[in-house]
Amino acid sequence: MNKIEAAQLADLALGSVFLATGGGGDPHIPQLIAEQAIEKYGPVTVIQPQDVADDALVVSIGGVGAPTVSLELLPSIDETSRTLSAFEAHIGRQVDAVASFEIGGGNSLIPLVAAVGKGIPVIDGDGMGRALPEAQMMSYAIAGIKPTPAVACDYAGNQCAFTTSSTEVYERHIRSFAMAAGGMITAAEHPMSGAELKRSIIPGTLSFSIELGRTLRENRGQVGQLLEPLKQVFEKSIYGECRLIYQGKVIDKATRIVGGYDIGEATIQNFDGQGENLNLSIKNEYLLARVGEAVVASVPDLIVIVDYETGTPINAERLRYGHRVAVFAIGCPDFYRSEEALRVVAPRCFGFDLDYIPLEQL
Amino acid sequence: MRIGIDVGGTHTDAVVLNGDDIIASTKALTSADVVSGITDALDTLLHDAGISSEQVQTVMIGTTQFTNAIVERRELSTLAAIRIGLPSGEGIPPMVAWPRDIVEAINGKTYMLHGGFLYNGWPVAELQTAEIDAMIKDLQANNIENVAISAAFSPMNAAHEVSVAEKVKAAIPHARISLSHSFGRLGLMERENATIMNTALLPFAERVVDSFLKALKNRALNCPVYISQNDGTLMSSEFVRTYPALTFASGPTNSLRGAYKLTGLEDAIVVDIGGTTSDIGVLQSGFPRESNVVVNIGGVRTNFRMPDIMAIGLGGGSIVKDEGRTIGPQSVGHRLVQEGLIFGGDTLTTTDILVAGGGANIGDPRLVADLPEQTVSNAQACMATMLDRGIEMMKPGGQGMPVILVGGGSILVPGDLPAASQVYRPENAGVANAIGAAIAQIGGEAEQMVSYRETPREDAIRLVTQAANKRAIDAGADRATIRAVDIEETAIPYMDEGATRVRVKVIGELGSRAGA
Repeated sequence: MNKIEAAQLADLALGSVFLATGGGGDPHIPQLIAEQAIEKYGPVTVIQPQDVADDALVVSIGGVGAPTVSLELLPSIDETSRTLSAFEAHIGRQVDAVASFEIGGGNSLIPLVAAVGKGIPVIDGDGMGRALPEAQMMSYAIAGIKPTPAVACDYAGNQCAFTTSSTEVYERHIRSFAMAAGGMITAAEHPMSGAELKRSIIPGTLSFSIELGRTLRENRGQVGQLLEPLKQVFEKSIYGECRLIYQGKVIDKATRIVGGYDIGEATIQNFDGQGENLNLSIKNEYLLARVGEAVVASVPDLIVIVDYETGTPINAERLRYGHRVAVFAIGCPDFYRSEEALRVVAPRCFGFDLDYIPLEQL
Repeated sequence: MRIGIDVGGTHTDAVVLNGDDIIASTKALTSADVVSGITDALDTLLHDAGISSEQVQTVMIGTTQFTNAIVERRELSTLAAIRIGLPSGEGIPPMVAWPRDIVEAINGKTYMLHGGFLYNGWPVAELQTAEIDAMIKDLQANNIENVAISAAFSPMNAAHEVSVAEKVKAAIPHARISLSHSFGRLGLMERENATIMNTALLPFAERVVDSFLKALKNRALNCPVYISQNDGTLMSSEFVRTYPALTFASGPTNSLRGAYKLTGLEDAIVVDIGGTTSDIGVLQSGFPRESNVVVNIGGVRTNFRMPDIMAIGLGGGSIVKDEGRTIGPQSVGHRLVQEGLIFGGDTLTTTDILVAGGGANIGDPRLVADLPEQTVSNAQACMATMLDRGIEMMKPGGQGMPVILVGGGSILVPGDLPAASQVYRPENAGVANAIGAAIAQIGGEAEQMVSYRETPREDAIRLVTQAANKRAIDAGADRATIRAVDIEETAIPYMDEGATRVRVKVIGELGSRAGA
């Protein structure tokens, strides 16, 4: 694939909600803005990471803030390309390609808008391969890429440039700017060379998300008929194994906001009320699944909840009591199983007192 | 005495209630002009009940007219859709994601203006007088009289919507205007969509309400008239002239509310068995459990709440195969009376199974006398299993729950169901929709995004409740009887701690104020 057309965006959005593992926000509005951008500027050129010149300049771009706010404070078509221009002016160099922070949710689509607006390609890949709650969990950060120099713009074109000592400080500062600017901003950050990109990106996730979305759409319906096609599409990807770990209805869900994150638990019971319940731990995303005491899947592997009737992924904000669901677990890309990655994304990093055991060994 | 009427696509059902007692009920065909179908139903009803029109204090109507107009792209008026939110949202104008055919049917104009608010109360931008004046000139030049106005965060601060509406009204005095904050919920695109659909229906709403009132007047019914909304509450007929979109999907709600009325069970599973499907819903405190998924009406995303319904392919016309081991989802539907075995046709249906098993005496039972006993018992077991599994999936917890069977097909399941603590088969289950329409409560709903750091929780809930109360009173509720039935607080991720969406729903008894 080397072009993305407007007609593929619905599949991309659907695939991205699946990969968001419960977080990431609703991609509906990012999809609309991307459709309009492609209509205005033409299809998106996609480039594989290995085809990027080692000395090229790549920057990751996306929305930062509260997805709930952008339900009212809508993005505009030139906001991302304006941000990119501001970034170029700040560092005094042209950007050759853009990449996504995270493929899970609306930020899978925002780089496409920037790319067509500026007439540059978008990289087939992202910095997470899923959705994760914190910036230091991005593959770029794990591979040692600094988040700054970075530039962020709000809806009205107000700008802020960042040079910070660490990813954690950057995260804190950019979130305060987002809050002050009405809850949602666009940021161009993690500038990197082509050589750095190749060792830090989770490759192929943009085209994979489109393929995943198509699989979900073509097999829409009860989970039983979705499982086989889903297994096949994951098996030949960087993810690998896909398992159906539970089916039932949500009998309890309680989350609360702590430090800006939606933290809590959900309990799912078998349809017939027999056997042990599935307990899910949530921090924006679904992070840990246990049946009784036994762990059946944990972060950084993917845990995904879909509507039992249609196979449509359900994010954690919308999951509620009475929902009839199926729960899938999928192996994460190898990058996230390295020692460096597990130092920031293992279950202990989320406060769970247990070691990470890859899905295939559970 | 009250009359409940359900004007469906094919049938017009009506009931007379005296308090909670059903005095009479009837089913007539819906006529093309609506009026004669209603007058026919009223004639039968008043005759059967043996009452005069003066004895009727209120009439409640449930109708699918407005939903059908949207779905079928007819009776829609041209309009202007104005969004106040620039510089945000530039490039995604109103109706951008709508299906082509409905955009063409409406053939409206869109305008985007600077203004609107942020979550924290700061303006997105100030209103610009010159921009508004130019837009109004354009409205006048194009003879546009129906106007939908939406603004960013208007459920929290409607000032910009109201201000632009006042200017439009001053320049075009007979303009019909819908403001998006009247449609509550946060989510600008969905709220705007609801507002635009509502505006497109305004002239049709005048005609529909007029024809309802005419039909009633023909039979000397001069009492107040109310129309049911999607959440199972009522609005006055005058209110519907302004808010026709609030009637969307009131059908399934009325069926659930009717089941509640027929049994008095506040918490139960309701199974409405029709010709092709069984629709399974849940009653919580006497109201339908709401679905949490985004609702499309005629292909347009909206923010309306709809009952959580699961449809399974089991109805009175479902086709039986494999010696009774497979039922549906194919159905002969309304052709049952030609194609079913007991009616001389050659398709084995669930109704034939019922008759062969001695469960009912319909058609000619001799035509199914030769059915193998094994087929009949297989099919009976299969139907019970299908329903049981569906009920099990909809039940909120693992424990037993009462199940109410309504709809024409409810006779299909004669025995007990393991998933049910008890099965109820109320009399008059066939006209549950009309009974549901005849309930006597008025609702109101409001939602805002608040910071509990700045506004203490109790104050915030009180403010939102006041807004909901005002909506209920405007819709015809008696102020003294209003109570909050649902308070939903959703914390917002990635924001200040304490940032919360608060939604309050209130219900009150029907006021004495005349509705017609």
